[in-house]
Amino acid sequence: MNAVNDSGCHWDPYDPKYFSNPYPAWARLREEAPLYYNKQYDFYAVSRYEDVERGLFDRDTFISGRGGILEIIKQNVPIPPGVFIFEDPPLHTMHRSLLTRVFTPKKMNALEPQIRAFCAKALDPLVEGGRFNFIDDLGAEMPLRVIGMLLGIPEEDLKSVQARVNENLRTEPGKAGDYSDHSFVGEGYEEYLDWRVKNPSDDLMTELLNVEFTDETGTNRKLTRDEILIFINIIAGAGNETTNRLIGWTGKVLAEHPDQRRQIYENRALIPQAIEELLRFEPPGPSVGRYVAKDTEFHGQKVPAGSAILCLVGSANRDERKFVNGETFDIHRARVPHLTFGYGFHSCLGNALARIEGRIALDELLNRFPEWDVDLDNAYLSSTSTVRGWETLPAYTPKAGKASVHAAAPVAEAAAAPGGESWKMTLKTPMGPQDMVMSITRDGNSFSGRIESPMGSENVTGGKIDGDTLSWTMEVTKPAKIKLSFEVKVDGDNMTGNAKLGMFGKAALTGHRV
Amino acid sequence: MAKITYIEFDGSEHVVNVEPGCTLMQGAKDNNIPGILADCGGCCICGTCHVYIEPAWRARLATRTEIEKATIEFSTDVEPHSRLACQIKITEELDGLIVRMPESQ
Repeated sequence: MNAVNDSGCHWDPYDPKYFSNPYPAWARLREEAPLYYNKQYDFYAVSRYEDVERGLFDRDTFISGRGGILEIIKQNVPIPPGVFIFEDPPLHTMHRSLLTRVFTPKKMNALEPQIRAFCAKALDPLVEGGRFNFIDDLGAEMPLRVIGMLLGIPEEDLKSVQARVNENLRTEPGKAGDYSDHSFVGEGYEEYLDWRVKNPSDDLMTELLNVEFTDETGTNRKLTRDEILIFINIIAGAGNETTNRLIGWTGKVLAEHPDQRRQIYENRALIPQAIEELLRFEPPGPSVGRYVAKDTEFHGQKVPAGSAILCLVGSANRDERKFVNGETFDIHRARVPHLTFGYGFHSCLGNALARIEGRIALDELLNRFPEWDVDLDNAYLSSTSTVRGWETLPAYTPKAGKASVHAAAPVAEAAAAPGGESWKMTLKTPMGPQDMVMSITRDGNSFSGRIESPMGSENVTGGKIDGDTLSWTMEVTKPAKIKLSFEVKVDGDNMTGNAKLGMFGKAALTGHRV
Repeated sequence: MAKITYIEFDGSEHVVNVEPGCTLMQGAKDNNIPGILADCGGCCICGTCHVYIEPAWRARLATRTEIEKATIEFSTDVEPHSRLACQIKITEELDGLIVRMPESQ
């Protein structure tokens, strides 16, 4: 037997169909194609617990030095030294051991009062209204502030750091991400680093500046500026994205299991095991890539050197061979270690921080909202090669009820002003179709006006008319600060075209005159 | 069964019987012995099942593996005879083993 996908099961990491619920496909892979080969993207995948564990642990066969993300491995993206998540020994051993000293459980647990304060600040204003958003209000706030505090990034700059991280990570639905011009160096962190050189504190940045170690050549030295910038870039990215997703899954999964939520509410000692079960059930990072450095075998089938392989952590975590009723969420299940933080030498350095943040977030949520429902009609999953989770997840208490007027409500059709024209348009964005109404006034070869959309009311800028082609730009701040560049063709009362969404790719646009 | 003595930092002793095949960490968790967190459940990734091996037993344990060496960097107050309890498999030969806990994990 050599064809490993001859049973006909299929999984595509970029297809939104699988992205929204990969579990049925993974369950089939575990049973029918424990070593799966995807011809279209030319990669292997293992889905059973013991195979995933081996893929993560055997670092001589499954190396990290070519990247841990499928696209990075396939596109052969050059990785500078210091990107410790994508390194092999001896460099990896050296960089990692430096950072383990910085991220000890003891140090992370000491952050509890600050983490609680960040949660309180985020959640207190929402208690009265009874409506909140697991991501916008908490997941995108608290972990960011914690990592900002660790790195010594001023509060007012945090959001722009977050926006940059998001742009770096996000991919277009249905497509592989393009990492060809990916920068690993922490651009934009230089000024904080330089400031810390002159103003030492007790934060992580200072610790990185002062740490001394023996490098691979046997030289005793401190970290270089570039190494520190790369470390910071990785730490800021990891700290922002992953716990955010854990908080989102906490909201979604516990809303669907109110009996278990009530048990946790009544007995907070259950929180640590509830967080472990959430991490197992919905891992924020469901797959990890490796480069196969030498020929190997799974289940009697060969995987040749030079292949890319994905270790499906999200599948391993539900493998019935290891977890009884693996597809069931049960905070009382017998403790079997999940692989969400990985296994072995590349396991998550921030696991202690993620755990303490997740536990405190749940505790502080329950203190204010013993019960909630999630508004899945107005929630959406984000699409990235590395994390899977909610991009926005509105919730409400039973008393407050579902929000009646929501951002996704259709935009009222507005009549054109005298001398002007009005267009109702639909933009197919990665987060679903967005309706908007544009009201403009022509002036020779240019035009001006406004666009009303659920994201707000924004000015049309740089409006140009070239025959039947209209082009313009618009800046939005939600869900991220991006500049949209439109180009459409008008044909009578209809328009078709597209908009470039900053770093997020292109979205198709259709519209009609109103 | 192997008789294992876990001594907390404050000196409290817990003597329990642990089934061979279990790890030293599981032996503590199954018997609700405080002082060992084992957050990761035995994956050797968190460093929160740190113990000190009593002198008489040090030579009788297999040496630390590479992964244990890497992960023990997470632990606090590490000494030459520090070990991660999840990496020590209990055997009949370890009957009588005595370990001490650090002040905190």
